Amino acid sequence: MSTRTGDATTDVPLGSRRRERVMDAVGLAARLLLGGVLIWAGAAKVGRPLTAQRAVQAYEILPMDVAGWVGLALPFVEIVLGVLLVLGLFTRPVAIVSTLLMLAFIAGIAQAWARGLTIDCGCFGGGGQVGADETRYPQEIARDACFALAGAWLWWRPRTLASLDHVLFGQQRRP
Amino acid sequence: MAKKPTPSAASARQAKIQAAQSSRGGGANVIVVATVVVVVAIIAVVGGVIWAQSSDQQDATGGANALPPGVSALGAGFPGFADVTPAAGAPTVDLYLDYQCPACASFEAALGPTIHGLAEAGRITLVYHVKNFLDDNLKNDSSTRAANGAFCAADAGRFQEFSDQVFPNQPAREGEGFTDAQLRGFAEAAGISGDALTTWQSCLDAGTYTDYVNSVEAQSFEDGVRGTPTVRINGEIVDLGSIGSPELFTEAVENATA
Repeated sequence: MSTRTGDATTDVPLGSRRRERVMDAVGLAARLLLGGVLIWAGAAKVGRPLTAQRAVQAYEILPMDVAGWVGLALPFVEIVLGVLLVLGLFTRPVAIVSTLLMLAFIAGIAQAWARGLTIDCGCFGGGGQVGADETRYPQEIARDACFALAGAWLWWRPRTLASLDHVLFGQQRRP
Repeated sequence: MAKKPTPSAASARQAKIQAAQSSRGGGANVIVVATVVVVVAIIAVVGGVIWAQSSDQQDATGGANALPPGVSALGAGFPGFADVTPAAGAPTVDLYLDYQCPACASFEAALGPTIHGLAEAGRITLVYHVKNFLDDNLKNDSSTRAANGAFCAADAGRFQEFSDQVFPNQPAREGEGFTDAQLRGFAEAAGISGDALTTWQSCLDAGTYTDYVNSVEAQSFEDGVRGTPTVRINGEIVDLGSIGSPELFTEAVENATA
């Protein structure tokens, strides 16, 4: 699975190749972190359609109907993105979508905070109104920012260890 | 990727890659794989939404739109202590509860007697909005069943008595729900017996008020109720901290009295 082509190229310094390996490993970690979190977040909402809809509606951004549909679709979108990330298939496009999704979550939480809503982010199921002293906006934003950073890494450098991209497409130009 | 190999190295790499690819039959076609992945992803999301939507709507059927006594329309609250005529200028207190909500049990334990006393004295018009959103979250049907039990008890004139049994007897762990035997025990403790108990049981078994409870759930969310317990005094949602004791609640009621 590793890049064997490098073995014969004596003019690429050893340190550089080692650095590439480390970068690939960081990419793998980013993939597994972001992918695992997305699968977990999606799975927690599957089978709880009303709760998932209410969680999105509680942000009071989208019209009720639209927010309801978003709430129904979001768990499955998260799971699909998460599975593709864990597999390492089309890493860059999937990372771009996932990063933008995380940024959208951060924007949603930030606007709820700014408007004085007292809601749970509903990130891993649950959601809806909580007491004014029970909001966790800074923690939720910091957590999603970490996930967005993992996505941004893969956006910038989609080559990772043990990816389906590598197995299927080898050294072709990345999709 | 960061370092650019020299041309000779690049061509050596290219040769190796081509050798590796031909040995694997030329590698996969990106466009074919991308198409398959996109189609599968769309099917997964659309299929998931349709399934979720249908399972959501299944919850919303079963009671043939029966209304509890004193309720004029789907979505409307149930009048508590309906036999009491409130004094002129008495404020309306709307209570939004879910029988599986632990915070509702604490609320009832702290303020229930005060609120009942005010209602019995005609100093407030008490309206119950019995919700069932926790069924979805807890993946059971106990909120709906307990609500059915309460409104079936209302048919026997025992709503308040039944309701007062449910909250103190919530399971120790949220989500364990209520058994059929427990609900029947609540009805008996509420003073329903004999033929009335048989009627109550068949009312419960039929899920008579499920549609009504679903309609209250939907209407209350539309009206801005985002959790339970929620209290409205004359339509205004009240911060629970400001009415957290019998004295504070009574004071809030007096301030709202015209």
